[in-house]
Amino acid sequence: MHRLAFTKADTAKYISHLDLMRTFQRAFLRAGLPIKHTEGFNPHAFVSIPLPLSVGFSSGCEVLECQLLEPVDLAQVPARMTAALPAGITVTGCYEAVRPVKELCWVNYIVTMEYEAGAPFGAERAIQALLARPSLVVNKRSKKARTGWVEVDIIPLIHKATVEERRDSITLELIVRAQNPGLNPELVVSAIVEHCPEAAPDFVCCHRRAVLDKDLQPWT
Amino acid sequence: MNRTLEHILSRVQKPARYTGGEYNAVVKRQDEVDTRFALCFPDTYEIGMSNLGVRILYGVMTRMEGVWCQRVFAPWADMEEEMRREGVPLYGLESGDPIADFDLIGFSLGYELAYTNVLNMLDLAGLPLHAADRRGLAPIVVAGGTCAFNPEPLAPFVDIFSLGEGEDVTVELIQLYRRAREECWEKEEFLQAAARVPGLYVPSLYDAIYRPDGTMEAITPRDGAPAVVTKRIVQDFDKSYFPVDTIVPSTEIVHDRVMLELFRGCIRGCRFCQAGYAYRPVRARDPKLLVEQGIAACESSGYQEMTLSSLSTSDYRPLEGLCDGLLDWCEPRKISLSLPSLRADNFSMGLMERLQHVRKSGLTFAPEAGTQRLRDAINKNVTEADLLQSCRTAFSGGWSSVKLYFMLGLPTETDEDVLGIADLAEKVYQAWREVTPNPRRGVTITVSTACFVPKPHTAFQWEAQVSMEEYRRRVKLLRENMRGRSIKYNWHDPETSFLEAVLSRGDRRLAGVLEQVWRMGARLDAWSEHFSFERWMQAMEACGLDPAFYANRVRPREEVLPWSVTSTGVSTPFLWRERERAYQGVITPDCRKQCTGCGADKLYPGGKCDA
Ligand code: SF4
Repeated sequence: MHRLAFTKADTAKYISHLDLMRTFQRAFLRAGLPIKHTEGFNPHAFVSIPLPLSVGFSSGCEVLECQLLEPVDLAQVPARMTAALPAGITVTGCYEAVRPVKELCWVNYIVTMEYEAGAPFGAERAIQALLARPSLVVNKRSKKARTGWVEVDIIPLIHKATVEERRDSITLELIVRAQNPGLNPELVVSAIVEHCPEAAPDFVCCHRRAVLDKDLQPWT
Repeated sequence: MNRTLEHILSRVQKPARYTGGEYNAVVKRQDEVDTRFALCFPDTYEIGMSNLGVRILYGVMTRMEGVWCQRVFAPWADMEEEMRREGVPLYGLESGDPIADFDLIGFSLGYELAYTNVLNMLDLAGLPLHAADRRGLAPIVVAGGTCAFNPEPLAPFVDIFSLGEGEDVTVELIQLYRRAREECWEKEEFLQAAARVPGLYVPSLYDAIYRPDGTMEAITPRDGAPAVVTKRIVQDFDKSYFPVDTIVPSTEIVHDRVMLELFRGCIRGCRFCQAGYAYRPVRARDPKLLVEQGIAACESSGYQEMTLSSLSTSDYRPLEGLCDGLLDWCEPRKISLSLPSLRADNFSMGLMERLQHVRKSGLTFAPEAGTQRLRDAINKNVTEADLLQSCRTAFSGGWSSVKLYFMLGLPTETDEDVLGIADLAEKVYQAWREVTPNPRRGVTITVSTACFVPKPHTAFQWEAQVSMEEYRRRVKLLRENMRGRSIKYNWHDPETSFLEAVLSRGDRRLAGVLEQVWRMGARLDAWSEHFSFERWMQAMEACGLDPAFYANRVRPREEVLPWSVTSTGVSTPFLWRERERAYQGVITPDCRKQCTGCGADKLYPGGKCDA
């Protein structure tokens, strides 16, 4: 099994998870890099993105798994793939998969909350206080639940949250659980909107900066 | 990407259709560009990107040095609302720049229900709707596509209509525009020069004069504009541009695959079919070249699917050889090949076997009419025996679903013809029972009917459409006589067909209706969730026009038809003769059997059709 490390920015932020997989399947063909197909009735090139990224988020640390079939110089794969991909996706590395996906424990996000009229007075402290609570239950959409919503306590899913106020924005640096269950930083923002309405931003920008293992070291 | 746009995109559905940046989208450096062309498709990204014509013109212009062609589609309602609220004008996907600042804006018109999108897009661009209110040389608004063969309803909004195939004339138009700019011509001067380019119709140089009864007295040219503008065709289809390096959307579109065009035109001459007449004469592409282009396009795009597209694919002479050539390459690579638009009369076993290798999608036939008498009248030269034989072939090959398409309201149709549809469906069912290898799996026969729309430049251009009540009566009659659980009957609502009949044969006065209905909120009319028939009827009334005058009236031979300035190369006497033959129930042989002198051969300098 091989892994591609790639970044997603600019126009590519709006390519959804499913569309991104299809885009990669085609890009492998364009790059002349055959990959393994699934077995079965309707075989297709197998690619997997272990940690789907929400539409609109940028990322510096995406990972895609696949199986290159022919012997290739892995060092050349990033350039060949980047040339075959849409604008905004850059493949930065290609390597044999070593560590299992389950060791991917934490994700580091930079969440920028923008305010057209400037960051509201006291918002920084209010958010700090909110995230310092021992427990913070929010409603989360769920397809499985009968009501369409489940309650989640987000505090145990946050390892670290730093809040920093600028003139027109407040930046949250978060380290949150990656999986089983993971925490989408949008849920942290909706908790802020609910509990500190005066700190509700006009626009939010989320960037996934790093994926980490249980010791908070980069996972590759 | 600009900040405002980013903010908007976080709030709309499927934002990937508004960003550009797809693989093979062409971004040019501003300093190497002197002319920017906004190629507009007046419907959503998913529909527009599926259009081969758009992809061809994009490639043709992109190859021109100094020209930057950019795509523009109609935003969905949520995006439009955001754009208007945030003051974001309509922009080109390649640069994000407002198209109001471009040199030329070109619309591709494929169906009448997209007309309100044209108005809406001009407005979203921040441009005056009326050509007369856009005073400067930039931007010039151009429109082409099948609907340009009756340009009149859009005449006041568009500076220049381009008739026929756009590959060559688009280049000529851009060259002329560059000259006009260099020599500082007034817009009027440029338009007069454009009117002298073959294939370009400049509506502002023609006066439409009406009689008291509402019919046309004359359409008279001014300032040296020609009395008749004849469409352009690509002379040598082997040499004409094919988009090998085509854009690969990053989000799903309707036809997300390589489209290979086997030929232009159609040999058949179905009397109701506008495309069949308007794209004459037939020009085929060499099969070896097609195999090369198909392979190159798959390699360049990474598409895993290829489709052979043409009006009547199975009329391509070397079809089996072509399929062999493509399948030799496709099969080992698990690339699927599909063949739409097969005709019921030459669906051969050989072809069947080749299709077996690829995915077995549903089978579709369009007999159009239920009885032989009516099929003869419309010159759909398919016999019941042909159809049943093709169905048997398919059923014994394991197919278990067939779709049959018909029109109701064709000229000369009687109740007997309507009931003939039910009979035919029943016979198809019996054919399945006779030959199917797996009777337990059952079969689905889907019968669909739509209300016939008489179109300009066809043998039926003078005909009345049946009223909506009459269509509904025929639907009811058919529904009550359709038996059997394996046969499903779907019918299209007559409202959109009625409106198409009004717009497709409308005159310049309908421009007022378009503007009115757009102001009342009409857009995205091809989408049922946005379409309101009531709104259209109110707009007609507000403008003092009677839709039945356009849709439900038989036009006498002498009447000046609003589209009479435009010519497809097929002569009006020929069309009239075809109409008479329809009433006599006499068929006209296809172009391959015998040339019947339609006039389209004169579009070649040498003057001979290679049917
Ligand atoms: S000129 Fe003759 S062969 Fe050519 S398209 Fe017309 S009828 Fe067919």
